[in-house]
Amino acid sequence: MRYILFFLLTLNLYSYDAVLNIEKDVESKATLSLVEDTVTAGASSNHPKMFKLLLNDIKMSGHFVVDETLRRAPFANGMLPVELHDREYILKYAYNRAGTNLQVKLVRVADNNVMYQNNYSVNTSARYPFLAHNAIVEVNNALGYEDISWMKRNIIFSKYTSSRKSEIWIADYTLNFASVLVRGGLNLFPKWANPNQSAFYYTSYNETLPTLYKVSMSSGSREKIATSQGMLVASDVSADGSKVLLTMAPNGQPDIYEMDVNSGSKQRLTTFRGIDVNGKYLADESRIAFVSDRTGRANIYTKSIGSSSVSKAAHYGNNNSSCDASGHNLLYTVKEGGANNVYLGSASSSYVRPLTSSGNNKLPRFSTNGKVILYIKSNGGSNSIGYLNLATNQSALFSMQSGKIQSIDW
Amino acid sequence: MTTTKILLAATAISLLMVGCAQKKNVDTTSGQFGDNTTLDGAYTTIPEGYEDNTGHYDNVDPYGSGDYGSNGEYANNGGYADGSKGYGNGSNGYANGAGGIQNVYFGVDQYAITSEKLSTISHNANLIRDDIRSGAKLKIEGHCDATGSDEYNYALGLRRAKAAKDAMVSNGIASDSISLMSMGESSPACTSSTSAECYAKNRRVEFKVFQ
Repeated sequence: MRYILFFLLTLNLYSYDAVLNIEKDVESKATLSLVEDTVTAGASSNHPKMFKLLLNDIKMSGHFVVDETLRRAPFANGMLPVELHDREYILKYAYNRAGTNLQVKLVRVADNNVMYQNNYSVNTSARYPFLAHNAIVEVNNALGYEDISWMKRNIIFSKYTSSRKSEIWIADYTLNFASVLVRGGLNLFPKWANPNQSAFYYTSYNETLPTLYKVSMSSGSREKIATSQGMLVASDVSADGSKVLLTMAPNGQPDIYEMDVNSGSKQRLTTFRGIDVNGKYLADESRIAFVSDRTGRANIYTKSIGSSSVSKAAHYGNNNSSCDASGHNLLYTVKEGGANNVYLGSASSSYVRPLTSSGNNKLPRFSTNGKVILYIKSNGGSNSIGYLNLATNQSALFSMQSGKIQSIDW
Repeated sequence: MTTTKILLAATAISLLMVGCAQKKNVDTTSGQFGDNTTLDGAYTTIPEGYEDNTGHYDNVDPYGSGDYGSNGEYANNGGYADGSKGYGNGSNGYANGAGGIQNVYFGVDQYAITSEKLSTISHNANLIRDDIRSGAKLKIEGHCDATGSDEYNYALGLRRAKAAKDAMVSNGIASDSISLMSMGESSPACTSSTSAECYAKNRRVEFKVFQ
């Protein structure tokens, strides 16, 4: 009964409320239409959603002008709807009745040549959005366009549910798939442990001391990694997963440490007698960016590992309480009056570019290739996960109406 | 007792799977994203039934109450998160309010124990000193309002707790009897609004004595 009630209460917590803002010129984009298989069309409530997911992914790629009308034709034969003969490409798809398999076939209309075809499956129909994401990523790649593999990644986030309680969730980027990973008590700061997302770190506040755990996604086994008085956060993981930047406070003093995952040894990287948190690896991982209050307010700084000197890196705003890094690029938040905005900066120059202009925008995160930015937009008690594609200038928001997002990674 | 559960469907997770702040050099020409609120007409014609999201939660707790992952469920040991060890304000004979243990409040982004806060520290120290000497322990929790990032706020809450600890030690409370915990913004005292008055109540340290 408890779970039934939970289910009913959360039916509408995540709504598919994508809003796309397409600004790139359309002349350089290929025209494409989606055609659903007539045999399996409408076989489940997920079938119309599959069309919208495919449509959304194609738009988010930024590489196509896509026909927004749902059309149908037999998947098995070479017949194409006559009205589509002026398109460059047609993507035919067949989504099976069980909801766990998707066949796609990319046809070049000019010569009816099948440019690409593949068959995708998931083990549970709940993860059906990944069918669309995987298919569109590979269709995009088959045509030689810039990689959009960020669509395939799992998002992991913690959200507060009540006082001293939070949950850790996993989701696809559109939130059409969302599932609880950790429930009960206070569980914070989830962070993927490696590039292939086969494990994650999180901090449990349910022990005597804050405790960092590493959880295997394949087995569900949980390993205690570290404890610290006061606070403990896995802020960043090196590209090969062998090192972790921690914020911990063994003596009540929050500083950044680098932990060797294999040996468990920790090296203290900052020694300021105030706040140093949110360490992020830069470029070759010999330097870090981090948040510090060493000038009286939260700002972004950089330093070389092993060096005592620091440099201010956020060249706009005087209250920057979170940051992310990709290569030499920085993302940081700027408190501007009653608003919080996301800015793009550089650790190697004074470059500054505003990415949002109003509202409450927090927790910016680069995609793995640094081309797309995820952030949380809050409005009153509701949140949206937003995306900004730096390569195409497209943006999207997916609303998420319950719970304050505590931390997010992807 | 709260129970922490790791919910993992093993077969499903193959994983488809320093200068001054000036507004100079701000690049406003290379593609403003604006406020991301531009509605795309495509989404006004979402197929019937699409927006209800029915089924998104099909797999919440998919294995019931414990049959998941190799290690099953992870018990919460009754730690700091839920206060279930039975201590907390008022739990050790100390009343809240003027006559009992009092919270210390802070300004925005501040964690120093300023002179006007010292009387509260002294009051609390006098109230609990004998019990501490008898073996009781003091936990100091630092809290923040909801501005700023959560990671920064956990550090800020910890600095508040550390500053309060240092002041308590100066008032004769043994350092080794005190533990620190930052709760960041996870446990606000005021949730009724985002007003300055409400946020001011959340920027605090709490003192909790337990045996």
